[in-house]
Amino acid sequence: MIQVSRLVKIYSTGESQVVALQDVNLEIAAGEFVSVMGPSGSGKSTLMNILGCLDTPTSGSYKLDGVEISSLDDTGMAKARNLKIGFVFQNFNLLPRMTALRNVEIPMLYAGIDAKERVKRATTMLEKVGLSGRINHRPSQLSGGQVQRVAIARALVNEPAILLSDEPTGNLDTTSGEEILAIFQDLNRNGATIVLVTHERDIALHTSRIIHFRDGRLVDDERVENPLDALEQLKKQRTVPAALSEEAHFVQTEESDALREDAR
Amino acid sequence: MNLLESIRVALEGIQANKLRSFLTTLGIVIGIAAVIAVVAIGQGGQAVLMAEMEKVGTNIFFISVDWNDESSIRGFSAGDVQVLKDRLPGITHLSANSSNMDNVRGPKKKKYCTVQGVSSEYSFISKMTMKEGRFFSSEDDGLGRRVAVLDEALADEIFGRADPVGNMVSIGSTPFLVIGLVAKGESIFGFSENVNAYIPGKTWRNIYGSYISNLQGSAVSKETVQGTMEQAVKVLERRHPGVQYSSQSMEQIKQSAGKITGIMTLIISAIAGISLFVGGIGVMNIMLVSVTERTREIGIRKALGARRKDILVQFLIESVVLSVLGGIIGMAVGIGGAFIIAKVAKWPPLVSWWTALLAFAFSACIGVIFGLLPANKAAKMDPIEALRRD
Repeated sequence: MIQVSRLVKIYSTGESQVVALQDVNLEIAAGEFVSVMGPSGSGKSTLMNILGCLDTPTSGSYKLDGVEISSLDDTGMAKARNLKIGFVFQNFNLLPRMTALRNVEIPMLYAGIDAKERVKRATTMLEKVGLSGRINHRPSQLSGGQVQRVAIARALVNEPAILLSDEPTGNLDTTSGEEILAIFQDLNRNGATIVLVTHERDIALHTSRIIHFRDGRLVDDERVENPLDALEQLKKQRTVPAALSEEAHFVQTEESDALREDAR
Repeated sequence: MNLLESIRVALEGIQANKLRSFLTTLGIVIGIAAVIAVVAIGQGGQAVLMAEMEKVGTNIFFISVDWNDESSIRGFSAGDVQVLKDRLPGITHLSANSSNMDNVRGPKKKKYCTVQGVSSEYSFISKMTMKEGRFFSSEDDGLGRRVAVLDEALADEIFGRADPVGNMVSIGSTPFLVIGLVAKGESIFGFSENVNAYIPGKTWRNIYGSYISNLQGSAVSKETVQGTMEQAVKVLERRHPGVQYSSQSMEQIKQSAGKITGIMTLIISAIAGISLFVGGIGVMNIMLVSVTERTREIGIRKALGARRKDILVQFLIESVVLSVLGGIIGMAVGIGGAFIIAKVAKWPPLVSWWTALLAFAFSACIGVIFGLLPANKAAKMDPIEALRRD
């Protein structure tokens, strides 16, 4: 799915040059759930930007879904971001003036999908992340966890090849964070390729592979034998009813929201 | 991104910043309103002026001797008048005119005013309506009788309540019998009220000892007036070789008056157009602010797959929507203003559909022109930088 070879990124600011990525080689297969860890300044964000087609490498090759990205122009990059990549950000990045539904519609707007189809797909997607009752709410009317679920729905609505997520739980409380991870794990089980950036090992342990970065280099590629199961974690926090089965948790998240509020 | 969605986003943006959007569009509103009102008033005024001249008669022409020339004669003779009448059937009426200023004394007071020596046909040429009595006849003129016809306003002033017709006035030191009053014309330009005394041309020449200074004639129609006038000048030139004549028809005057008012309207519209330009700068200014404020939104949209073109179009549409809204409001204000002014000035308001259409198109153009710079700035933004911004 992702093939990165001899990737170098150098930022030139006037006279000084900062090497953000140095000779990075990386392969991520379809269906993998990978986390990228490293201290700040390690180059993990730069890697994410390049993987997300928001930035171009100084040298080296990046193939996404068989397509060499560094050969694309601005329009090609935009198209790749639109159709191949789904972004989930730490600070959600929803448009505040728009409802959940219209936020989810945005990627489809740029894909040229007509209005009727957009509403249909966006509604389905919001139902999948457990927000069927909140499609006409604005971000300010939703909790952090709900906002992030809208962002996930938005990231997935164009059925991208890969989901990129930069600290998706960073601004959430533990329970909400765990719920987001549960969604990711479920998506992954259903075949989605996910790359997640985090600086928390607890979060990274939910994935099956951890890539460590330091000073712009890939220093370690760690396999996680038994990834943590987010649903189990939620059960441990005793906020999810026993009846909540693994198959159904997607549509039940709203209920768990209510339960959690009761528990407080 | 499709057009409808862009317009929707633009309208939401405008709604979110109501006061700011209102103040921004105000510049366009004032500009468009000013241009529409000025053009409408200008055209209305022009139409009134034309109608007024039409009323006077566009088949009228004037001929005078060109004084710049060291010519032997400085005016026309009675013979000239007769020859023109005999030779040119295209002339329906011809009057030999002279005028000067003198005191006209009535029983109440005297008035220093214009004393016109004219032929009897003058009343037909200038379409006079008699309020009382009659205009003098060709016999009065031929015999040089001391009869006078007064403009109503003059009679009112020097006679007061007394009835002027049948009574005497003295013009200079010569007594005259008043035989008629000329009714006030219904002029839109109320200030140009005539205050004249008319006496037979021959009588005038007897008293003031001078020559016929100009000829005033009417042709069969306004179409033939130019030709008839030129023929008349030719006849005169043949009779008096070396003398230069200048001539002018009412049709010519009307046309040049139309041209002048047209130019005036254009100049004032251009000045009003400057405010439109200033309004455009206001739009550009606020669009630049908007782009800066929404840097993050631009970043998000780009991350979700917006191309440069999409962002450019979105912001362009926003500035066009802003300008066109201003244009529509300005159109309403301008048309309303034109109607009010027309009502006060008592002339027909003339708002042509093309002015409105032009204003609409122009405000859209302003939106595009002044939106281009901010929209381009937005489109060129680096998505990573944009996403990082708060």
